[in-house]
Amino acid sequence: MDNFIQLTLNGLTLGSVYALIALGYSLVYGILKLLNFAHGDVFMVGTFIGFGALQLLGGSTDPIVPVWLLLILITFAAMAGCAVLGVAIERFAYRPLRDAPRIAPLISALGVSFFLAYSMQLMFGSSLRNYDTFSLSGGALYFNGFDIGNVRVPLIRIITIVSAFVMMILLWLLVTRTRVGKAMRATSFDREAAAMMGIDIDKVIVFAFVLGSALAGAAGVLFALRIPTYTGIGFLIGLKGFTAAVIGGIGSIPGAMAGGLVLGFAESYTQGYVSTRWSDLFVFVILILFLMFRPQGILGKADIRKV
Amino acid sequence: MSGGYDDELTRPLKGALEATTSEGPTSPAVGRDEWVARHGDNRMGRGGRLGLLEDRLRFVPWWAWLTLFVVLFSLVPVASDSGYVRRVAFDIAIYMLLALGLNVVVGWGGLLDLGYVAFFGIGAYSYALLSSDHYGIHLPTIVAIPLVVVIGACVGFLVGLPSRRLTGDYLAIVTLFFLQLFLTVTTNGDDLFGHNVTGGANGILRVDPLSFFGHALPVSRQGGLFNPAYLYVVLAVFVVVFVALRFVNLSRTGRAWRSLREDPLAAEVMGMPVNSLKLMSFAFGAAIAALTGTFVTAVNASAFPLSFSFPLLIIVYTMVILGGAGNQAGVVLGAVLVGILLELLRDPGDSRVLFYAVVVLGLFAALRLSVRFAVVLAGVAVFGLVVHSIAGAIDSGWVNGSGGEGGGVADAMANWVVVPVAPAGWVAPVSYISVVSLALVLTLVRGWARLALLVPVLYLAAFVWENVMIAHPEPTRYIVLGVLLIALMILRPSGLLGEKRVEII
Amino acid sequence: MKRRGGIAIALVAVMAAALASTAGAGSSAVEQSQAVSCKSTLKIGFAAPFTGGAAYLGNEQLSWAKYAVKTLAPKYGLKVKLVTGDIPVENGPAGALTIAQKFAADKSVVVMIGPSTSGSVAASSQTYFDAGLAHITASATRTSLTKGAVKEATPYFFRVVSGDYIQGPQDAKFMIKKGAKNVVVFDFQEPYSQGLSDAAEKVLKAGGVTTTHLSVSNLVTDFSTFVTKVPSNADFVFFPAQKPADAQNFAQQLIEQGKKAKVFGGDGTASADQFKVPGSYVSVFSPDISTIPYDKPLIAGWKKDNPGATLGPFGPAQYLSVQVALNAVKRACDAGKGQIIDRRAVARNVKRIYVKNSILGSDFRFSTKSNDPLNGGFYIFEIQSNGSYKDITASTK
Repeated sequence: MDNFIQLTLNGLTLGSVYALIALGYSLVYGILKLLNFAHGDVFMVGTFIGFGALQLLGGSTDPIVPVWLLLILITFAAMAGCAVLGVAIERFAYRPLRDAPRIAPLISALGVSFFLAYSMQLMFGSSLRNYDTFSLSGGALYFNGFDIGNVRVPLIRIITIVSAFVMMILLWLLVTRTRVGKAMRATSFDREAAAMMGIDIDKVIVFAFVLGSALAGAAGVLFALRIPTYTGIGFLIGLKGFTAAVIGGIGSIPGAMAGGLVLGFAESYTQGYVSTRWSDLFVFVILILFLMFRPQGILGKADIRKV
Repeated sequence: MSGGYDDELTRPLKGALEATTSEGPTSPAVGRDEWVARHGDNRMGRGGRLGLLEDRLRFVPWWAWLTLFVVLFSLVPVASDSGYVRRVAFDIAIYMLLALGLNVVVGWGGLLDLGYVAFFGIGAYSYALLSSDHYGIHLPTIVAIPLVVVIGACVGFLVGLPSRRLTGDYLAIVTLFFLQLFLTVTTNGDDLFGHNVTGGANGILRVDPLSFFGHALPVSRQGGLFNPAYLYVVLAVFVVVFVALRFVNLSRTGRAWRSLREDPLAAEVMGMPVNSLKLMSFAFGAAIAALTGTFVTAVNASAFPLSFSFPLLIIVYTMVILGGAGNQAGVVLGAVLVGILLELLRDPGDSRVLFYAVVVLGLFAALRLSVRFAVVLAGVAVFGLVVHSIAGAIDSGWVNGSGGEGGGVADAMANWVVVPVAPAGWVAPVSYISVVSLALVLTLVRGWARLALLVPVLYLAAFVWENVMIAHPEPTRYIVLGVLLIALMILRPSGLLGEKRVEII
Repeated sequence: MKRRGGIAIALVAVMAAALASTAGAGSSAVEQSQAVSCKSTLKIGFAAPFTGGAAYLGNEQLSWAKYAVKTLAPKYGLKVKLVTGDIPVENGPAGALTIAQKFAADKSVVVMIGPSTSGSVAASSQTYFDAGLAHITASATRTSLTKGAVKEATPYFFRVVSGDYIQGPQDAKFMIKKGAKNVVVFDFQEPYSQGLSDAAEKVLKAGGVTTTHLSVSNLVTDFSTFVTKVPSNADFVFFPAQKPADAQNFAQQLIEQGKKAKVFGGDGTASADQFKVPGSYVSVFSPDISTIPYDKPLIAGWKKDNPGATLGPFGPAQYLSVQVALNAVKRACDAGKGQIIDRRAVARNVKRIYVKNSILGSDFRFSTKSNDPLNGGFYIFEIQSNGSYKDITASTK
């Protein structure tokens, strides 16, 4: 039973991060119908910005501000940095291709992904970067927390899960309750009609990228607090986040959240109960089955094209 | 190699006037789709002697170009005794084959297949399993290679099955995951239900070389030199594949593929068997990739999972896009160019020369022989010399770090570029990010501001190249490819030899 | 073919010119039987990962190799240059073949140090053998390279450090000596760790220890589920990772999930900067040379050339490999009266080299039965409470 609780906890922690990344994919796809392959690498840049901010603020053994403020600051730095990066990517790599055939921005996205990953490797090398959260305030983040049965739920995991959920709820509120959100939904529904109604499409698209990339940056920090990061991680985690978005229903925000959690649990239970070696295979098979039999995902709407 | 006229019907009558314009060669061919764009009267030609030359060249038949290319290629082992150069030529020939195969799927079928190198790997592993000590099967090459091609086609067919219901981006995802699947299975395949099937991360070693009629072709000759016979084998296969594909393209299938690519919905409405066409293009591409896999495995005498990963996919895609998706001659040219580029980037001296050559040529292509060209060149030179002398005056340790590889060019440039002996850690990231940001800003400004900004940007780029990128050939090559892909898609999606598609409004 | 034709022609011309210059460089020799004069600048080839995940290994080895060439070559009266080839581990072993061809084609390369990774050795040893190049590694420790029914490496492959067939069992015996009853053994789905884990597991099982074998891809950095699978009564986790940060992370997660097992890392995890959870163990193929008195001037000289660099476990062995290589070259020069008739002359001399008081603390010679060191051994370090490494090998014997 303890095993099950621990595995569930693992799945929840990981799934929250996947959900944040999946949201970024969904936001951009909803409006541009573009699969932003570079999103995973924006996530990776977020982890590195967080790392850099951490070093600037004194490092994990000797921070110059209290721990809670430190965490907020580095998350904010990563979100801001990634938002800028996302805007730049959209402006220079995707906007010129907005009216080109679908294949063109996809290939451009591949190019951007490669460029980001290897530029980071060129500048910072390929070695692992460890936030060493363990040392922060003498391991308090790991030793404090509550227990479920024999399983300890450390503070660090609580922070990850709660922050992710708070951000997701905030995003959902923004999209459904504000005017900007309404504009985004309108643009994703029918871009030309929205333009005719006076919505500034360019601004809406930029805003979507800002939101998505900022979420990726936050996900980056939350992820890297527990797990070392390196420049190649963008590809793998991006693929997972992407899977989560598709499983949940790409273009749908609750779908991205659901998909992320489903994926996190699937991975965790498969690794725990079936086999550690083949868990990736299992996940791929799930994805392919979804794509073949229910391409709109769990919560998405079927895309019916009228001829 | 077609000169643009694939069949008799669209070739212009001899002596027909080509439309020319004083605007020069920046005007594209006008037409909504490829057929219209290709039609003789819609072309824009170039004036002057160069235009006449191009007109003459247009009448050279495609097989003449092919023969010339193959002959020149075959002369490489004659021109150079170096085993390394021969091996590079072999690698480029392999890339050419891969590019041809991908061209079928992406260029002709219009399907974004991101799992292409998995078929390459399947061919490699199939050959390795059929002709090695792993299972003790040693099939002769005559039997093994066709078998591998069939296996490749079958797997391509199977992978293409989901494509029937999926649109472009979803197909891309499925094929990408297929590649990941392939990598996972081969890396963990040393424990498939207790059987060592793929050798895992260790790969399969001691694979047989190619053997024809009982005579094995040794991979290396006296002194470990690469055996050029393998290069000739691959070239022969290349010719066969090229010609075969060309005839397929000219046939009904080719025309059906074109219609599918231009507008899948319209094609379906017109009664094209869209699903079968997609499956066929997948199968063709996969078969060619599998075929290529056999030669690589025979030469390496081994197969490893990591040789078939995502970076290789990007390399092949860059070749196809650079050359012009849909144009066989183009993708071959793209393969040769990118292949040579990658090898040059491996060596610091060559990288240095390459960089300066590309900068000068790029300026020339953009500005032509004009006052602006001379001004920019002179400006950059003077700017560099000034900065170099100032830096040298402040601290000689700031300018003496050059490794000096690259012969005369490096020595000349050592007086121009600032190369610190022991740069601080922050120099690399700061200068790299600055040059990227400034280059992006460059695309935003116009007119003389652009020219003025070009001078410091070029110098900073030279600084970054010399100090940061030359020392790290691996990330540099992928950065260059990534930038190339983005730039191509934005500036010139039809590549070097592809056909342009322009809207008539 | 319009404007694009022009650009295409220009690009092809540039490329052809560049390639022609490269071709000119390499085409000077056909038969390797052409002799090289010992008065000219000889080259030592070095293939290692200088970029990518294992870059810390290649670059540390490079700094020592450069230092060795700089200080030792004049002592032997030779002019030597080090030429490098980058084989990042992310590209798999196939990249080593092209580098091997490159070195083989260059006539002034008379000996090779490296390749540094076991997979690259397996892939390219045949090429080096055909070219007559001796290749002396300081870190490719896979057992199957020199032992077993079918050796993956050729007779011209030499190792100045012991193979995993010593490391695995030695580590296992240490764990048994410490009273372990339950051990988790990891492999990372790549050759190095699989060889080590298999060797260790065999000895553990023979010693009556309950073992659990877990396998994880070396691209994974989130070990949460794997930590969950470590039994709560496990005493050790044998963790032959190739990135020290992975070992650090794993050890921290063990503590987080309340497991009492201690992490035992292989030589791939040896880094005082990155892996420093107190109570863990690391096995390395070279001792801490700062404790060896006659190495002090060497270390001082190396530090002067590499300001700010910390002493790691991989560099000193590379120094020894260069020393052996240069020794062999010198002998070949003497035998050929100022000329190296053939690269094979160098290769034949390597086996006979004997280095007294080598940098690793003892005399060095090759075993007669294989191309591995005679009486080789590994060194076990314990991580202290302040994160430093303490050599406890003596207490384990």
